[in-house]
Amino acid sequence: MATLDDFRSKEFLDQIMILNEISGNKDSGDLPGLIDLLKTPVGDTSIDYMVVNALNAVLSSNEATVIKGLSDPHPGLRTLCIRVAGEHGFRNAAGPLAEIAAAETDPDQLMEVLNALARIAAPSATPVFRAHLDHEDPFIKSACIEALGRLQDEASIDSFKAMLVESEAPDRYETCDITTWKAVEALSSFQRDDTIGFLVEKLHHKNPTVRRIITDALTAMGKPTVPLLLQAFETGDTDTRILAANVLGFVRDRAGADGLVAAFDKGQADDANVRYAMYEALGRIGTMKGIICLVDGLHETDELILMAVVGGLERHVNPGMISTMTAMVAKADDQSDRLAKAVIATRATTLFDALYENAGAGDALMDALVQSRDPEIIDAFRAVLADIGGSRAEEDMLRLPQVDITTRQALAADDSRSMCAMHRAILTDLGFEPSLASNGEEAYDHIEQGIQFEVIITDMNMPVMDGMELVGKVRNTPGYEDVPIIMVTTESEASQQSLASKAGVTAFVTKPFKPETLKAKILEVTGG
Amino acid sequence: MDVELAKPFIKAAVDVLSTMAFVKPQVGKPYVKKNTVAAGDVSGLVGITGERNGSVSLSFSKGCAVAIVKNMLGDEIDDIMQDVKDAVGELTNMISGQARAGLAERGYVFQGSTPTVIMGDGHTISHMAKTPIMAIPFTTPDGHFTIEFCFE
Repeated sequence: MATLDDFRSKEFLDQIMILNEISGNKDSGDLPGLIDLLKTPVGDTSIDYMVVNALNAVLSSNEATVIKGLSDPHPGLRTLCIRVAGEHGFRNAAGPLAEIAAAETDPDQLMEVLNALARIAAPSATPVFRAHLDHEDPFIKSACIEALGRLQDEASIDSFKAMLVESEAPDRYETCDITTWKAVEALSSFQRDDTIGFLVEKLHHKNPTVRRIITDALTAMGKPTVPLLLQAFETGDTDTRILAANVLGFVRDRAGADGLVAAFDKGQADDANVRYAMYEALGRIGTMKGIICLVDGLHETDELILMAVVGGLERHVNPGMISTMTAMVAKADDQSDRLAKAVIATRATTLFDALYENAGAGDALMDALVQSRDPEIIDAFRAVLADIGGSRAEEDMLRLPQVDITTRQALAADDSRSMCAMHRAILTDLGFEPSLASNGEEAYDHIEQGIQFEVIITDMNMPVMDGMELVGKVRNTPGYEDVPIIMVTTESEASQQSLASKAGVTAFVTKPFKPETLKAKILEVTGG
Repeated sequence: MDVELAKPFIKAAVDVLSTMAFVKPQVGKPYVKKNTVAAGDVSGLVGITGERNGSVSLSFSKGCAVAIVKNMLGDEIDDIMQDVKDAVGELTNMISGQARAGLAERGYVFQGSTPTVIMGDGHTISHMAKTPIMAIPFTTPDGHFTIEFCFE
């Protein structure tokens, strides 16, 4: 042993082998030699780097030496000991590290100490993190929020809440700071009613990114959020109800569906947008009660809402529902026309397949289908008819129109499947060939492929890239400076619309709307 | 952990640019991106695997990228496009390497892929992630650049 004797005069390869051996053996006897090599480096970068690694390895089983090293006059050894204490979770180092943190003024060094303390995760360190929650460096502040969240420090909950409230200040809400993100994350780590309730209350945060982070956090928390979401649904305004219903749909918990069904019974679904969101959520969750509620929704007369109902039922086709629907579609009245149109427009091929068995319902569906000018929809149902086979299906296939290839292109972006289906129907009716996207990024992909769109329709709140960002990007794309953009939104806040106008939106259409309203707006902005 | 991972990259970016290109960037206020798209005129992108998986990108504005190349190569620029591409690839590689070494000293072991360089005015690149993406803006006298982190 005593491998470090005369180390500096040894050959490079020998030095490497010696340091490798020490890293493996972790023999405390080598500590003085290694510390000497750290304090007076040999000058070769790779050897010096290996010395640090070897020292780290040996120190990993020498807690006492590490703690002593925390106050060593040599800054290199001090930093190394801070890191080793953190990496190996030395509990006894928490006290001395907390003292260092209290006195440390250099932000980089403070960050080292806080990171080490966070990895040790000793509850005794909570006052240190709390003390730096207001630090001006956003990284230090974020590290403290992360650590306090992980330590489940209930005393910090009010501070986290305050951060989220402050993030909505008029001069701040346009960007989502990393501290706001971390505060939401920390709050969501407490499975407490008051923290969940607070996040639910903030679902309608002014900043779309924060809204998305809160939605994702609540969705990830799952079941415990359901009672509070339902409570918010019961007491909140229209926007809150819509957002709460959306999250309930994402959580996909049975109790959420039951609550929404009960809300229908209590008459809390008067607003058309709220009802639309409720049907979409019920379609996602798919409980028996929810499906019954969706079947009741087949009596809705608003085209858009009916599409949400049909879209939801398409995911959970069952014989009972089909027999009710068959009777309704085969009835040859106004409602059966609307239903048939909704099945075609949402491209509900499973429902179509089941309903077609009845000749009356089949005829109603075929009448709606032959009126469609959308080649993709016609192709989709042509394939279904081909699968069904038989003489009736073959005859019906002959009835399908040969749609001319239109050259007028339009783009529509919305994260709701029913809304996309609605846009598709409206645009094809107007003679456009629609390209559809479920978020801004997908929409922009279409533009990047070089298609020249005559009009763009977009939702405001979408995952991945929201409408506002999309509009900004489109306006910066050569050839798209003046292309009309219509934003379809339920946003009632004036601040959002003015932001959107600033970004370059040509016109707004507020949900709910009759298809004619959007059609008229499209014709108006395209001069057609 | 997110901020702990980001710090070494910031330090490495400042170190590498100061040493190699004599540019001392000023760190701006970090924020969460609205989308998964990185925008710039020249970008270097590395995939990171290990403790956590993700990607890190450095997107430079044209002015910033050209200034860096001029500082690195002086008057020996033959083909500005090719040189910018090489330089950004090289810088991204060095920054990724130095940052990963910094993380290894803290016991976090990561592997980095070979950098990819994307060029084109106002191009966009997508990070594949469902988690929020942290962006750190930097300013230099010749233009700005942004580092973006996206970890699963």
